[in-house]
Amino acid sequence: MTPLSPSHRPFRWRPDQQWEGYLFILPSFAGFLVFIVLAVVMSLGISFSEWGLTGFKNFAGLLNYRQLLRDPVFWQTFWNTAFYIVTIVPLQLALGLIMAVGLNQAIRGVTVYRLIYFMPVVTTIVAGAIVFRLLLATNGPVNNLLAAAFGLLGLPFSAPNWLGSSDFSKWSVVILTLWKNTGFTMVVYLAALQGVPKELYDAAHTDGANAWQRFRNVTLPLISPTTFFLFIFQMIGAFQLFTEPFVMTSGGPANSSLSVVQYIYLAAFRDIRMDKAAAMAWVLFIFIFAFTLFQNRMQKRWVHYESE
Amino acid sequence: MKLKRTLLLGALLLVSVLILSACTGIAPQAAAPSAGGEQVAAGEPVTITWAFWGSPEEAASHKIVADAFMAEHPEIKIEIWNQPWNDYFTKIQALWASGDSKVIPDVAFLWPTPRYAAEGVLENLDPFIEASGYDLNDYWPGLLESAKYEGSVYGFPRDIEVNVIYYNKDMFDAAGVAYPTDDWTWDDFLAAAEALTQKDANGMTTVYALAAEGGKWAKWVNQNNGAILDDYVNPSKCMLTDPASVGGVQFFADLMDQGYAMRPADLSQAGGDAAVFSSGQAAMILQNTSRVSAFNAAGMNYDVVPPPIPADGKRHNGAGGAAWVMSSGSDNKDAAWTFIQWLQSDGGGETIYTERGEIFPALQSVANSPAFMTDQPPANKQGIITEAAASDVGNFGYFPEWGELDGSIIGPGLEKIWAGEIDPETGLADICAQVDQFLADNGYPK
Repeated sequence: MTPLSPSHRPFRWRPDQQWEGYLFILPSFAGFLVFIVLAVVMSLGISFSEWGLTGFKNFAGLLNYRQLLRDPVFWQTFWNTAFYIVTIVPLQLALGLIMAVGLNQAIRGVTVYRLIYFMPVVTTIVAGAIVFRLLLATNGPVNNLLAAAFGLLGLPFSAPNWLGSSDFSKWSVVILTLWKNTGFTMVVYLAALQGVPKELYDAAHTDGANAWQRFRNVTLPLISPTTFFLFIFQMIGAFQLFTEPFVMTSGGPANSSLSVVQYIYLAAFRDIRMDKAAAMAWVLFIFIFAFTLFQNRMQKRWVHYESE
Repeated sequence: MKLKRTLLLGALLLVSVLILSACTGIAPQAAAPSAGGEQVAAGEPVTITWAFWGSPEEAASHKIVADAFMAEHPEIKIEIWNQPWNDYFTKIQALWASGDSKVIPDVAFLWPTPRYAAEGVLENLDPFIEASGYDLNDYWPGLLESAKYEGSVYGFPRDIEVNVIYYNKDMFDAAGVAYPTDDWTWDDFLAAAEALTQKDANGMTTVYALAAEGGKWAKWVNQNNGAILDDYVNPSKCMLTDPASVGGVQFFADLMDQGYAMRPADLSQAGGDAAVFSSGQAAMILQNTSRVSAFNAAGMNYDVVPPPIPADGKRHNGAGGAAWVMSSGSDNKDAAWTFIQWLQSDGGGETIYTERGEIFPALQSVANSPAFMTDQPPANKQGIITEAAASDVGNFGYFPEWGELDGSIIGPGLEKIWAGEIDPETGLADICAQVDQFLADNGYPK
């Protein structure tokens, strides 16, 4: 056995050189400290103060939080956000999976289809919103199409006011978000599907399992870690929804599509209530944290890891 | 080898120190030269920063104003800080929050003034007004209220929003409706609206008599002797459940329910009032004077008329406009005052903006001068002056929390009424309950 030349020596940790390592991470660590850690700590402090444009005015204790509890708009934005979560997350998972399964087949031009479905992910959301505003106009193409479909079936139809009524405004935000994000879900699922070993399908096939049974009992369990990741990822994304309602409906009408993060923004920059905005951000954080923790606990019930 | 490593580590250290120092704020610099007052060497102009929002076209007007001022006052140099409306407020807030007089604009365009005055970033102009004898009586009635905080003047509104009815003469001719007169009433308006509105076989309106933004609603309330709040500076309760206020909102809502007026949500989808008026989808719009230059450029056959008033009501124009303010952190307050005073004078900034068609002036003398009384359309300029003379408080609250109250509670509540989802009486009762709660939570009346 020949000794390794000095340049191929395996890395050995030398205590006397430790500070050099820290020096190397210092530039990015400094940024992290100031822009993340300091900001987080400050926002907690601000939420317990009276804090205006020029900074600290008074210590306020729980005042900002108490005001929030009594603020009907805050609760409405929470309800709106809950609506976004329960619609966007499952629909996006289901649609993304359907698209991924479809595009995992050996069809001609499959790359082109994948490209097309992924395109919205890299499209500017504002441009998308402008197009969707036209599509969803009261006398726009979507309503004309619906009217034609209802007419064929002989059903009565009153054109929904997608953007201007508080019954439908949330749905128009959901539609835009699905269009924008489902492509991402699809790509992640596609990767997961390609990781499922082919032998398992062959074995199931030999055992007489039909296509649905193979999907239900082989595919779904094996991609469940991906589903779990997408679920958490999209839930947090839905909690933090901002741009979609902002560009689609500006939160209206009557706050019916206003999201929590949008309301935080308005509190900070329209009302110059940095203190109230910080308190809302912390309440939102607690919700997201609790939900994620809960999901993490629940994953044992349905997420299957191959190594186990 | 050894040297190289030392060099590398040294460079890293340097970068880190640079980043750290950049992050922890600008190190205090040498005392500002003007710390001892306004001592500036003779012949060297004082530079003041002038902040405003606006499109490139508007910025061009501001540039002309700045040049005209500097020609008259060579001792002061104006530096422009211009941002689009969307970014203006967040950026100027950040400048003020920094507390650094090097970056804080000396003079800024702002709305709403009381909100910022309450934060202490604006200079109280009372002492300057007193020392210079600046005439406040030339402003339209009620207008200065929008720039006051705790009784003191913190800004001068550049213009006043005067909302008038623009009407398309060709459409009136086609419908055989006589042109409105300055003393028309709500009943006259309804009769004209019925004749001008066109509907299809299903009863859907194809041509509207009126397109008005939802935000114009307060005019109807005030005309009907109603009110939003019992006091606009120190409110104790919401007045929107008062029968007169309900009547005003009902008038607007009925216009929509009958298909005479476009619902505000449909209006914004259709591209706004200028678009539907130009394309003949609406025969009338209720809007301030900002549309004049566009309609003139398009060569439209139109005129303006003061809005109709109810039989036993009154003429009312909600007085408000964005104002020039001075930063309390300015190092050059005397120069800033000289500039503001010149901006807000007949023959100064007011005249130039008015001549360029940018504004309807805040000063009555300028409105009655040739700067406004041109031979350009609309013909009925006297109608605009008539409406402006009826200016008064009533459209806004003049307390710091008004923006939040209006943006989160009153505006959204009204949107439900305009969408036809709730009747005015119920909707206004909901709004008032929330408004009263909000006022109590924020310690009003103070």
